[in-house]
Amino acid sequence: MKPSRLPKPASRAIRYHSAQRHQRLYHASRAAFVSAAASTGSQSSVNPDEIALFSRLSSQWWDERGEFQMLHKMNPVRIQFIREKLLEMRREDGEDAASADDVLKGLNVLDVGCGGGLLCESLARLGANTLGVDASASNIGIASTHASSDPSLNYSLSVKSTSPAPTSRGKGALTYEHTSAEDVLATRGPRQFDVVCSMEVLEHVDNPRTFLRNCADLVKPGGHLFLSTISRTPLAYLLTIFAAEHLLRLVTPGTHTYAKYVRPEELTQFFGDYRSAPESRPWISRLYGGVPTRTEAETRGIIYVPWKGEWTLVPRGAVGARWGEGCNYLFWVRRPLE
Amino acid sequence: MVLRNSRRRCLASAAHPEESDVVIVGGGPAGLALASALGNSAEVSKSLRVVLVEAGDLSKIRDWAPAQNSFSNRVSSITNASRAFLKDIGAWSHVQLDRTAPVEEMQVWDGISDARVAFSAAEMMTPERVALDEMSRLVENLNLQRALLRHISSMPGVSIVDRTKVQSIEKEEREGNGWPLVHLSDGRVLRARLLVGADGFNSPVRSYAGIESYGWAYDTQAIVATMNHHPRTAFEPPNTVAYQRFLPTGPIAFLPLSHTSSSLVWSTKPPLAKALQASDPAVLAGMINAAFRLPEVSMRYLHNRVLEAHAGGSTLLSDELNKEIAWREQSHNVDPRTAYSVTALSRSAPGGIPPAGSDLLPPFVTSIQEGTIASFPLRMSHADAYVGEGRGARTVLVGDAAHTIHPLAGQGLNLGLGDAEALAHCIHTAVRNGGDVGSYTALAPYARDRYFENHKMLSAVDKLHKLYSATAEPVVWARSVGLEVLNELDTIKAALMMSAGSARRTDPASVGWSVAASSLETVARSVNSAKSVGDTIVGLAGATAQGLLKRLSNSSRP
Ligand SMILES: Cc1cc2nc3c(=O)[nH]c(=O)nc-3n(C[C@H](O)[C@H](O)[C@H](O)COP(=O)(O)OP(=O)(O)OC[C@H]3O[C@@H](n4cnc5c(N)ncnc54)[C@H](O)[C@@H]3O)c2cc1C
Repeated sequence: MKPSRLPKPASRAIRYHSAQRHQRLYHASRAAFVSAAASTGSQSSVNPDEIALFSRLSSQWWDERGEFQMLHKMNPVRIQFIREKLLEMRREDGEDAASADDVLKGLNVLDVGCGGGLLCESLARLGANTLGVDASASNIGIASTHASSDPSLNYSLSVKSTSPAPTSRGKGALTYEHTSAEDVLATRGPRQFDVVCSMEVLEHVDNPRTFLRNCADLVKPGGHLFLSTISRTPLAYLLTIFAAEHLLRLVTPGTHTYAKYVRPEELTQFFGDYRSAPESRPWISRLYGGVPTRTEAETRGIIYVPWKGEWTLVPRGAVGARWGEGCNYLFWVRRPLE
Repeated sequence: MVLRNSRRRCLASAAHPEESDVVIVGGGPAGLALASALGNSAEVSKSLRVVLVEAGDLSKIRDWAPAQNSFSNRVSSITNASRAFLKDIGAWSHVQLDRTAPVEEMQVWDGISDARVAFSAAEMMTPERVALDEMSRLVENLNLQRALLRHISSMPGVSIVDRTKVQSIEKEEREGNGWPLVHLSDGRVLRARLLVGADGFNSPVRSYAGIESYGWAYDTQAIVATMNHHPRTAFEPPNTVAYQRFLPTGPIAFLPLSHTSSSLVWSTKPPLAKALQASDPAVLAGMINAAFRLPEVSMRYLHNRVLEAHAGGSTLLSDELNKEIAWREQSHNVDPRTAYSVTALSRSAPGGIPPAGSDLLPPFVTSIQEGTIASFPLRMSHADAYVGEGRGARTVLVGDAAHTIHPLAGQGLNLGLGDAEALAHCIHTAVRNGGDVGSYTALAPYARDRYFENHKMLSAVDKLHKLYSATAEPVVWARSVGLEVLNELDTIKAALMMSAGSARRTDPASVGWSVAASSLETVARSVNSAKSVGDTIVGLAGATAQGLLKRLSNSSRP
């Protein structure tokens, strides 16, 4: 099989690669993906070579001690933030009895730039009907292969339907699709998802305003948008480009472009102007000292604690919390009810 | 593990693997505590299917119904931190409390110099500065295991498969992320998201995971037995004191169980252990009484008598032993009015005004409970890792599968319970975050929490054992004048306090280090050293112990 070149994926995954691994992972053919993915569901058109290829790619991507280590370690913190924020908002909405255990249960969730499916699997285990999309066919192949080996996931093969598959066994349905946020919007229409996530994607896209608008349009009224990205600060430059790419070579040089980094206040400003419809109020309607109220939007820094080997969510109001947002951070914003 | 039976292999591979989330191999205290902690959490049992596989027959433990005054010989000292964990998971209420005994005080002394430390629960404080009632509680392993089994029987999320051996473990044929397939002796195959090795020292899970273990066998055998003894009178301390004397052959410990019963753990040279086990139980009782009382040189003499008799194909008679003891006591001028005289004690009925020194010594042993004499070899070992990687991914070790330790600090079982607690906590967190509980990311915090913690205890205890069995001249000289000994007794104290002092393991500031501030109750009763030397030593010992305590308490929590 002679792999052909894929368009450069707008995926967070790419940043965690060494150069040679990068070649292997991303230069797989689209045709290979299609039949490999198809083979997980049916017996026909099985090409053993292609299955082997995706199994290998998948095992590299999911090797927690390998190059994606940092990403694997970051996942619990993202989920923690999502759960805490959803719980807080349900209580805010008057559901005092809402329990932390099942805040995601039954919600329709879209993960844009799902990579190998790390966040999607966790969301699905917590009961969300999850759709993961990625612009890289390889990534979708990796994610599908991995999910199909895990019996706790109610995984089904990607079919271009207008809504996620129905649930069974109390677990959230998990579906992957090789597509973009733009296409999801075009095929499914706006206001489809209770929660839209896009982790570590924003800093790679060419047109962040369009990207944010597409993501936002997919959120149902009263629903949630979660983003994670890297701020444009000297600190972020030092850690993510100078140290990670050039000094330590943890990440392929050229993975990040400093100019594409987005500061939290830029996101705040974007949603301060952004309205779902011309007559409705902006998603962020007021600021106190430049900070939105906690019921409209919130930024939380995440920092890596080397001696624990874990990422941690910077506590609210902690000393230096603003400083903690100076590199990797999570951002949440809620679409107003209409 | 290698399959020996090829027919079995055919059967096993033909079977369809059953999906399970957590497969625990081993129904010892560590495995049962983990199963019980997992099953007790609604969140965990809602999403994980837990299976525990045990080779032995657990119904014997579940139906264990001993007579009131008979006690099993396998007894463990459960620290306050372990007890708090067992309470948290709802298992402690199933422990039959009237078969347990608190330890309120410990007396530890050196066999050569008689230098002694005593410490009590009153010295220990919780972080809220509340004094603790007890330092630990002695519980028969069977009592604890039965409690855990009873607790588990009410849990729908945990299934127990006993009288079934794990025959082999293989990795599923799948590139990179194959899961462990556990082949059972009944032909079933379990596909494990997470495989827990709670399978003891010869852990099959550890071999599958390819985790090496380093360590060494001590040239030491521990004799265990249940002792019947005189009750304590109203004028004496109640039977809530644990005694341990460090003889050059190893420490001998007396652990209270009831008014008239206590548990023995006597670590000694293997030939001597063998000879003692072969002797009339009355001889063992006499030797125990002597081992806590006679000067070390006489103990050496008595040891040789027992060994000689055994080598000659006979055994020492109880009467002969008593005569030997009486003679040794005479030659040492042991005052028959004191609790140090085995001969006098054997002739007097219990009760009345206690003889002098009775608070420094355990009660007089009258007999050994039938069928309770056993022994086991001692070794120190520590696995290189607790979490498997690469080909051994999705495995984790707890309890003796991860580490074995000399029993002198009574920590073996507590370390295992600490592992179970930390692992259950870790699994719970992963479930809450929608994580894959078999993933390295989910398990890494467990290794981080426990590895160093256990390592500290293992090394402290190993070092103590080495010091006491050292025969190098300077060490022996230093010990004979009580120099090293006081330092080392403080280390023992620190080791015991290290977990005994905390009310619960999970409190960040709980390591009950108030002991560092309290004065060291070090009594220099050295026969050979002058008072002034003694004072200097106490000062020295204080300084080093405090340094040690400080270091330990600083390093205990990151
Ligand atoms: C003979 C002996 C006597 C001891 N006496 C004392 C004492 O008096 N006081 C004290 O404090 N400590 C004592 N210890 C140490 C103490 O028992 C251990 O620290 C403690 O039991 C460890 O608990 P665990 O659950 O980790 O392992 P274990 O209690 O060793 O349990 C391991 C279990 O795994 C099971 N298993 C192993 N392989 C397989 C397989 N392939 N398939 C299915 N099941 C399997 C075994 O049957 C066993 O039940 C003693 C140890 C031994 C060996």
